[in-house]
Amino acid sequence: MTRQPSVSARDAQHALRTALSRGGDWAELYWERHETLQLVLDDGRIEDAISGVDQGAGIRVTKGERTTYANSNVADVDDLIALAGRAARGVAEGGELHETSDPAPDELARPSTVAIDPRDVAVERKVGLLRRANEVARALDPRVQQVTATYAESVQDVLVANSDGLHRADTRVRLNVAVHVVAKQADVLESGFEALRGTAGFEMLTDEAVEQAARDAARRAILNVGAQPAPAGTYTVVLSSEAGGTLIHESVGHGLEADLNLKGLSVYSGRIGQKVASELITVIDDGTDPNKRGTAAMDDEGTPTQRTVLIEKGILRTYLSDRKHAEKLGIKRSGNARRESFRYLPICRMTNTMIARGTSDPEKILRSVKDGVFVKKMGGGQVDVVSGNFAFEITECYRIRDGKLAEPLRGATLVGQGPKLMSEIDMVGTDLGYSTGTCGKDGQGAPVADAQPTLRIPAVVVGGKLK
Amino acid sequence: MSERLTNEAIVDTALQALRDMAMPLGEVFLREAQSGSVEIKDGAIESVIARGERGVGIRVIDEQRLGFAYTSDLSADGIRGCADTARRMSAVTERDIDLVLATRPLDDADLDIYQAGIVDRALGERGAVALAVEEAARATDARVTQFRKTTYSDSESTTMIATTGGVRGSFRESYCGAMTSAVATENGDRQIGYHGEAGRRFAELEPRRIGERAARRAAEKLGAKPLATQKLPVVLDPWMAMDLLRAIGPLFSADNVLKGRSLFANKVGQRVANERITVIDDARRPRGLRSAPFDGEGVATTTRVLIEGGTLRGYLTSLKTARKLGLDATGNARRGGYGSPARVGTSNLFIDAGVDDTDAAVRGLDRALAVTSLLNLHTIDPVSGEFSLGATGNYLERGERIHPVQGITIAGNLTDLLNAVVGVGSDLVFGPGGLGSPTIVISELSIGGA
Repeated sequence: MTRQPSVSARDAQHALRTALSRGGDWAELYWERHETLQLVLDDGRIEDAISGVDQGAGIRVTKGERTTYANSNVADVDDLIALAGRAARGVAEGGELHETSDPAPDELARPSTVAIDPRDVAVERKVGLLRRANEVARALDPRVQQVTATYAESVQDVLVANSDGLHRADTRVRLNVAVHVVAKQADVLESGFEALRGTAGFEMLTDEAVEQAARDAARRAILNVGAQPAPAGTYTVVLSSEAGGTLIHESVGHGLEADLNLKGLSVYSGRIGQKVASELITVIDDGTDPNKRGTAAMDDEGTPTQRTVLIEKGILRTYLSDRKHAEKLGIKRSGNARRESFRYLPICRMTNTMIARGTSDPEKILRSVKDGVFVKKMGGGQVDVVSGNFAFEITECYRIRDGKLAEPLRGATLVGQGPKLMSEIDMVGTDLGYSTGTCGKDGQGAPVADAQPTLRIPAVVVGGKLK
Repeated sequence: MSERLTNEAIVDTALQALRDMAMPLGEVFLREAQSGSVEIKDGAIESVIARGERGVGIRVIDEQRLGFAYTSDLSADGIRGCADTARRMSAVTERDIDLVLATRPLDDADLDIYQAGIVDRALGERGAVALAVEEAARATDARVTQFRKTTYSDSESTTMIATTGGVRGSFRESYCGAMTSAVATENGDRQIGYHGEAGRRFAELEPRRIGERAARRAAEKLGAKPLATQKLPVVLDPWMAMDLLRAIGPLFSADNVLKGRSLFANKVGQRVANERITVIDDARRPRGLRSAPFDGEGVATTTRVLIEGGTLRGYLTSLKTARKLGLDATGNARRGGYGSPARVGTSNLFIDAGVDDTDAAVRGLDRALAVTSLLNLHTIDPVSGEFSLGATGNYLERGERIHPVQGITIAGNLTDLLNAVVGVGSDLVFGPGGLGSPTIVISELSIGGA
């Protein structure tokens, strides 16, 4: 699939030797070529068509507790060796010189299939999908005022080599079609959003799938213009599996990242083997889940991705780690070192994170609630990892009255504290629903997916306008 | 080594490629930057990053259709290939009679935004800034013993723009900043406090102030409790008000206005806020963090009063959106880098200083909430103005801090909030992102809690 030559084992070794030429314990080369295409349909017109390529490399040298990382755009081997020289000059001179091991290139299995390379698909076909989304959303209801549809294609070729002899490549083909709809009724304007995102070939973008996303976005906007403002207060909440996993991502996932735990700053620090959630709760991060948005063959240090059980029936088992933090914490590397691009050092972060299926019938969970709030779709969220306090946006929700869905509500937010919430969940459904997004941490974005079954939370703060 | 073209030669090569394609309307944008950051841990430097980047973005308007392509491959072939891709992309987009490129010559504004050699400082000197931040934080409050992350960063960059029509300009800028997230611990409770500041010159940074503010933010949250659901007056200190202002910024974009995505649409000349509120976007503020002589389309930047005494005065525009609205281009087509298209955005956006004694105003309130952090600001609905945010704060009675608060939401409507401003302080300060604000007092917002 790689159309451009990346870096040969010989050239990589040359760069690594150069990087270690003035001292240093270990060196790594990360090379990347990233091709993107972005199309934006706005107000019924194709407004932007942007194509680009960014190629560069980063060279990391560690010496004792200090890491030096030099990175830049590179065109060829000469640029790469010059960059390695810059990295070497950043390392304090002295100490033992370390030889690099002979490169041992190997091929990793690719968890995601790509039947149709999107670069082989005519741009007109991609434009056609956006026009179709626009038509479908507008045709659904005269209250639809505005439709924005975007197509984003990303093909990232990555090569990681290090002085231990590792030499591995990966190609991540990611697609994203997003539809944003604004609807108006009387003076009320509200929006609805839906996206199709995955690590997959163009085959994931069928007409049916794109049309469904457009309908969902439009339906949500229309529902919200007719909805009551959400009340503020503490309620029993049922989170539909369709809501996706923003909850698990924000309330638990970030707190399980190893970098924070090494510093002892997470609410989960030092608690491996302890009960940190209800025994109904099992949390898994799975970078191998085929075609999901957070999936890759390896992480950005060349460690194969894997399925990691983080919390098993309420007991904390391990953290999401990169090389450095796995070693320091004495845990197994989990393949969670990710970076936005060659411009950054990798950091510990999630891939596809989920709460595993439970044993309760989702229908029965809903029927069990006399008076509460049913959350059908969540938007973005944010967490303060040190205190565990989180907040997230709810984009589709209803009042529950006598075990049945009642009037729709708009403008609600859910707030709480991660470990407290996880110990309070008292029903977990047999179903599983996914959501996707771009996670931000330390200024770096990373494509992720999250999933969860239907959940019941006996009491949680819902923020809305006071009635 | 392959021949490395100078920035000027790259721009000339791109212009020539556009002329060779008989492209009458073409534009080349080049960005070259050197930047670095130093992160410390346990009193020593833990990581050092040196970053170099250089690339071009090429825009063409062919038969009134816009195409855009970018590349980091700055060989002559790479540049020509990029120009050709831009032309191919123009075949995909729709015709728009309002598409134009810059035509007015650029002035030589000196905004004092460049200090040569900022990235060449010795590692020890740069690391010392971060170490001083942590030291100041520890000294401020004994309960601050840890840090989530403390960094010093700096950059120097060159931006060039040239059109086939003859507009050509370039400027250099420098930047340095430091930030920390201090962690305070007491009786098993742990709270984080973030603060960061930045400047155009090394001497502008005050590491001690950064550490002190972060430490106070963390320590003041210790022992936080929920609050009952109720309506309360709300106080936003300048840094919290800046967070809110950042979320309001896009509402001034003419692009959002034209597409019905701003609650300020069709409201020029109307009252949109309390008369105490004046909002200004000043791209020419000397040493401003987002000051620049020209924008991402090669249009000279300006200073704009957006809200004057509560009345909406205008919008921020690009060339295209200005033509659509029949206005002058304000020079607010901002570009994040060579790979990013120009989007209408703010420069140094600030709420102007008021005359109210906000401390006295708060002492006059029986009960109030002083906000210390806001979560999910990006979810404010730009159209309806509705918001429901996670928050922490201090619960006050007649200005006295009774206890810190967490696990609450603050909900309302932006229009109502702007009209409910009952106090604007004289303590205007500027922070990261070019934002600025004084202390703001709001008469009442909905608090969701226990």
